[in-house]
Amino acid sequence: MRFADVTRGAARLADRLRFLFLPIALCALVAVGAHAAAEVASERILSLVDALDAALDSFFSRFALTTPLVDWIGPAQRIGFARALALVWELCADALIALPLLGYDERADEVKRFRALCEKAWKRPTTLRVVRPIATAVIALAGACSTARLLQGSVHLALHGGAFAGFLARGLAVVAVCALVASLAWRAVVHALLRADRTSDRRARSWRSALALGAPSAVVLLPLAIAGLRAAPLLSFLR
Amino acid sequence: MRRVRSLLDLALAGLALWAAWYHTPAGALVRVVSAHVFGTRTTARPLLAYYSAGTEGAQAPEVIVPRPPLAPAAALGAGASAAMSRLAPAERERILARNHLRSAAPEGLSDVVAHLSSVHGSREGGVLAFFCGGEAARFAVERAGRGARLEDLARELPPSYERSISLAGETLTLGTAYALAWPVPPWAHVTSPFGMREHPVLGGQRLHAGVDLGVPVGTEIHAVAPGIVRRASEDSVSGLALVIDHGSGVSTVYFHNEQLLVQKGDHVAQGQIVSRSGNTGRSTGPHLHYQLDLPSGPVDPLRFRAARPQTAERGGRDL
Repeated sequence: MRFADVTRGAARLADRLRFLFLPIALCALVAVGAHAAAEVASERILSLVDALDAALDSFFSRFALTTPLVDWIGPAQRIGFARALALVWELCADALIALPLLGYDERADEVKRFRALCEKAWKRPTTLRVVRPIATAVIALAGACSTARLLQGSVHLALHGGAFAGFLARGLAVVAVCALVASLAWRAVVHALLRADRTSDRRARSWRSALALGAPSAVVLLPLAIAGLRAAPLLSFLR
Repeated sequence: MRRVRSLLDLALAGLALWAAWYHTPAGALVRVVSAHVFGTRTTARPLLAYYSAGTEGAQAPEVIVPRPPLAPAAALGAGASAAMSRLAPAERERILARNHLRSAAPEGLSDVVAHLSSVHGSREGGVLAFFCGGEAARFAVERAGRGARLEDLARELPPSYERSISLAGETLTLGTAYALAWPVPPWAHVTSPFGMREHPVLGGQRLHAGVDLGVPVGTEIHAVAPGIVRRASEDSVSGLALVIDHGSGVSTVYFHNEQLLVQKGDHVAQGQIVSRSGNTGRSTGPHLHYQLDLPSGPVDPLRFRAARPQTAERGGRDL
């Protein structure tokens, strides 16, 4: 069997399985991004835990009944507690923006659909319509960068380093970031926009409900998206 | 055209799945569950370890030969030796051979790690080079920058380096702990040791997570290593409290002070006077509660000290 036949057969199979692997890939990419962002955020969470722990210890130690609570989170537990918070935060973000991507249904007119949804979000904005796609975009970008970084490291070290390996690994990383954004990240944004649009159509009846809809999830997603910006060092691949 | 695109998309999907599988707690959860289902072994780390890039989880070795506070390079050698003591002989031999060493004696290891540290610009880079090889360390330092923390260096390396990164993290933790000085003058007696004890107020056996050192009010308390003040606060249990982060997962805690001389966020040098001891908070008399925290939890600070202070039945202690 010729190489061309094998390639053609594999391409045909991939095309048939597209409905299966594409949603899983979108979910995985956003999960990677959410973790990269949560890792960045965990340092800030540790500072907050320190400040909160000191304030709560000061308060609880005033009353005999609550004094035992002072020992609940001691200096030794603070790092574990901060990381546990980061983990919960990440899993919440996964539940809000990664898991729904498993329901992604590809359509031929994806670009047209994206434009229409953007236009609608611009004309009839809700918190959900604005925050959800932006957070998904940033976190998917962070996921693309993390994945490309892994690829670069693996290729570079598999070839035992050197100038050629460095050049090849860097080139592959740049290609991977671009391809992941062009192929997967933007589809994740389309799906996030679509879901936000459907929910907003159903539940945003007034300007108040438009503002309130998605506000709790925005509290989870926006700080993570800001951390995600730091976890997406695009220029590092070009240095 | 569409089929070729599908093939490319499949490759990208594989890439994204590979990253999620090895580098996210969600992936670790799936790995653990699938290992249970299929009865196989998994290399997934504990979920919280994914926030330190696998660099933490160091346990203080059960038997540590007491030694005086060591210079940083010698302490790293001792840390590397302690970390390697728990390896299987074949794995230990492989690491020694790569570094052209015959034994895992601390002196030889400290020379090699010091040399690698100077080559890679930091002790983190040096220790990483010792366990992962020079090329991996060079690549990680180039990507993360000179002076980067081990966590940042580790994030640049592929999953196959997981075990070596963990050893490097353990070495840095133990190396930092071995180099700690003592916060009070050597004549200070231990009035309550580390370990389980009957709690005088709450009752029941509880862990006393540090040692109580009987010193008069106003005694100068010195930082045991360079670090950043993470907490400088007051409450009626710990009194005036200080927590200093020395990096590599090592923190020290100083309770019941009379006066704090540093603030949260301050950088402190080894030996710097950070507070004056006192009798504040829940305490029976003047003393310092000194605690050493490693990533695995609090450990007895005396395990990292050669000169064992005398113990005294009387004197200030925590309540």
